[in-house]
Amino acid sequence: MTHAPLPSSAARCAARLRALRSPQGFLPAMAVAIGVVLILSPFLATVVRSLLTGEEGKLGFGLGNFIGMFGNKRFWEAAAMTALMGAGATALSCLFGLGLAWIVARTDLPGRAGFDTLNLIPFFLSPFVGAISWTYLAAPNVGLLNQVIAAAGGPADLLNIYSVGGVIWVLALFYTPYVYLFVISPMRRMDPALEDAARAHGAGFWLTLRYVTAPLMMPALMSGALVVFVTSAGLFDVPLALASPHGIKTIPTAVFQVVQYPSDYGLAAAIGVMVMTVTVVITLMQRSYLSKRSFATVTGKGYRPRIVQLGRWKIAALGLEILYVGGGVVLPMAALVMVALSPLWTGKPDPSTFTLGNFEFVLFSHDLARRAMVNSLIVASIGATLGVVIGTLQSYYLQRGRSRLRTVMDAFLSLPIGIPGIILGLGFLVIALRTPLYSTLWIILIAYIARFLPFSTRGISAMLVSLSTDLEESARAGGATWLQTMRMVVLPLIRPAIVAAWLMLFVIFVRELGATILLYAQGTETISVAMVIMGEMSFGYVAALAVIQALLLVLAFGLFRLTRSAFLEA
Amino acid sequence: MLKPIRCALLAMILAGATGVAAAAADDPPAVKAAPDAAKEALRKTIAAAAKEGDISYWDAVIQPTTNNALAAGFRKHYGLPESFKVSYSLSATGALVTRVDQELSAGRVTIDVVGIASLPWVHEKVRAGHVMQYASPQYPAYQAAFDKGLGLDGYFAFNGAYVFVPMWSTERLQFKGDSYKDVLGAVPAGRITIGDATKSVTYLATYMAHRELLGIDFFKKLAEMKPVLVLRSELIANQLITGQYQLAWSGMPTRAYQFNQKGGKLKFVLPKEGVVLLPQAQFITAKAPHPNAAKLWVDYVLSDEGQRIIVNGEAMISGRSGFKSPLPEYAPPIDSLNVVKMDWAKISTADMNKAREEWVSLFNP
Repeated sequence: MTHAPLPSSAARCAARLRALRSPQGFLPAMAVAIGVVLILSPFLATVVRSLLTGEEGKLGFGLGNFIGMFGNKRFWEAAAMTALMGAGATALSCLFGLGLAWIVARTDLPGRAGFDTLNLIPFFLSPFVGAISWTYLAAPNVGLLNQVIAAAGGPADLLNIYSVGGVIWVLALFYTPYVYLFVISPMRRMDPALEDAARAHGAGFWLTLRYVTAPLMMPALMSGALVVFVTSAGLFDVPLALASPHGIKTIPTAVFQVVQYPSDYGLAAAIGVMVMTVTVVITLMQRSYLSKRSFATVTGKGYRPRIVQLGRWKIAALGLEILYVGGGVVLPMAALVMVALSPLWTGKPDPSTFTLGNFEFVLFSHDLARRAMVNSLIVASIGATLGVVIGTLQSYYLQRGRSRLRTVMDAFLSLPIGIPGIILGLGFLVIALRTPLYSTLWIILIAYIARFLPFSTRGISAMLVSLSTDLEESARAGGATWLQTMRMVVLPLIRPAIVAAWLMLFVIFVRELGATILLYAQGTETISVAMVIMGEMSFGYVAALAVIQALLLVLAFGLFRLTRSAFLEA
Repeated sequence: MLKPIRCALLAMILAGATGVAAAAADDPPAVKAAPDAAKEALRKTIAAAAKEGDISYWDAVIQPTTNNALAAGFRKHYGLPESFKVSYSLSATGALVTRVDQELSAGRVTIDVVGIASLPWVHEKVRAGHVMQYASPQYPAYQAAFDKGLGLDGYFAFNGAYVFVPMWSTERLQFKGDSYKDVLGAVPAGRITIGDATKSVTYLATYMAHRELLGIDFFKKLAEMKPVLVLRSELIANQLITGQYQLAWSGMPTRAYQFNQKGGKLKFVLPKEGVVLLPQAQFITAKAPHPNAAKLWVDYVLSDEGQRIIVNGEAMISGRSGFKSPLPEYAPPIDSLNVVKMDWAKISTADMNKAREEWVSLFNP
């Protein structure tokens, strides 16, 4: 028996180099390298800037910014408030998400399919627009809901959206779909035998729920909760609209304020480093938690769980759906439309004065709004396209590549999901300040791709991993090159995921604010930035622009549903 | 033999005269109105501006509709084509200062003209060489303002001034006070707004002057009314109309005028103790990418025609000598105001930072 001689290290290196020179090796590796650079560069820039102290032009290395940050009472107040809002939003999102998913997946509530779609709409809407519209509904004394309460004899300031509770409420409305999407899939695929066994042993509904159903849901719920906590705590939009005006600070709004005149980039960078470190740790903990859990009880065998007959509880289930869909979609949109149609918003809608003047101004007379719409469409279209191309290649590297770094890269490339947009924007601002990229649309585009590329990569990866390699191998055996195989076999098969990823990135880019607010300049404003600027000018203008943005996003949502992709569930 | 030569000469003279007449007829209104000695230089500046094709202008007050009127008048006044672009941005003062400072530190200036009511900061920029030296032909009409320290000859005049004073909606509140002190206790706690001085250098400047006038104890009592911090003057006005808040400490007559045009019932008082006049300094950045267009823009905005557009659109107080305000109720003549004296040129950034810290300790934003 003879053995082939083992290749020498030089031979192995030569083989790797040859592989890297081929399109199959080079393109996916290049996409991963781009991803690494997009993550590392703002991080390193922020770290370096955080270590520079002193006046501009006389900067020296030191820990002064960190000492200043840790010794600042306001930083700790903002950190505590951020944690409180994140935790509150997470708890409420979990309650809503779990409840709604259970109603849709496990009960006999009529119209469940319709609710399944409606429950997801807030996922595609802008939280900033949601926050603005809720100010029309629940501002103390004048909010439309408060007026209804006052008319019924209650206090006119019962609801106060400009409060910690108000921020948590709006965040929960917009982050519930995250939890919903995480838990609905395992709920639909749950093995009914487990619950039957509990029932057979005498457990009632609540005991079965507590000791069987809930533990089975726990991994998915925890994943959803962690994502909601990290992303909602890092969100800039909602606290900017609801908390800042009343002196309630969060870390993202504090960073924004520190960068304003008199700017202290060092302190802002120190806060940024702190936040990035915390979010990276949380993200890694999440991965670690998930990797240790067994999902064996929730398998892909296509179980059909038992449908619970709600009986008289149908009213309660319907009530929860109405509360969520009403609060997240119907009421905010109705308020927005009313304000947008009013020439002067006085707190009360007067249909006799309704006019399209605000829309006309926004669409035809105001340069800022027009160029913002054009910019958003340009950035969203080009960004989504680039994001999908890079994401597809990264997915190929992660799922088909042979590199030993794949696992590490998979974790590393996912990190931006947890980093708040404004912190990433700060990192890119620090870089751009000394380059021709400053005040261009390009830097915004780069920041968007850096922040949201993982959505594309993960979605496409989920589809690629379910695709057998047999087809590709057959094509290669038949003489097709790698590029031909990709073009004629792989890409057509994963097209639903690619389309869904493109639409998702498009939607996210159209509504993104946190990463943009520090990077925009005259001529590079986006719709969300224009809304911030116009939100300080006129209720009517901002409502009109918000309605236009919402229509754009709902259109994208409709297209998304048409793709019938399992992207979100992946 | 000489006849054809004479005829040819005559024809040439006639053609030349016609050409000159035609050129004069083609001159835009600005050139026609200019003194003969300045005509050629102005023609050259206009041609250079037309070649630049664009101007970037940032301001903290002027609304887009007023800017649209200014831009249309500007193009017509100088005979610039419709394709000439007036890129305009309205920004909060704090954000505008941040942006200008950011561009200066990045060494990439994109802004040509800035209009901002923060004289200490503008003086600082002049001292640092970031403001273009320019003797606008309109400056002689602003000599009185320069003499009062509300501008700096050769560098900047103001395109309009404004004040922050107590304001309310008569549909929501019957306020009869004529003094700042009457504001205390006039509405329940939490129903009054105040301009956020952490984000606006004009609110901060007003606080500094009010602090001298009214003393710290007054502001401690004002803070006990738990005023809500609002940044933009437009929002302050709109929140009075909706009734969200009943009284605004930092109300702006400009916004009262604009909202009352749409049916609002806003009213304000110029307190007997005096008002802090905030002249909106308009200057050209030293490294302006479109310097010729910037000079023409400054000239136009400071002209009688430009001032009329601004006062009609924004109800701002003009500093131009001999200018008669078309809206005396909202934009009274500058000489009729009891202005709190402030030496803006002597206030440093460090003074402003100290005042901001004090304000934060009072109102805890």
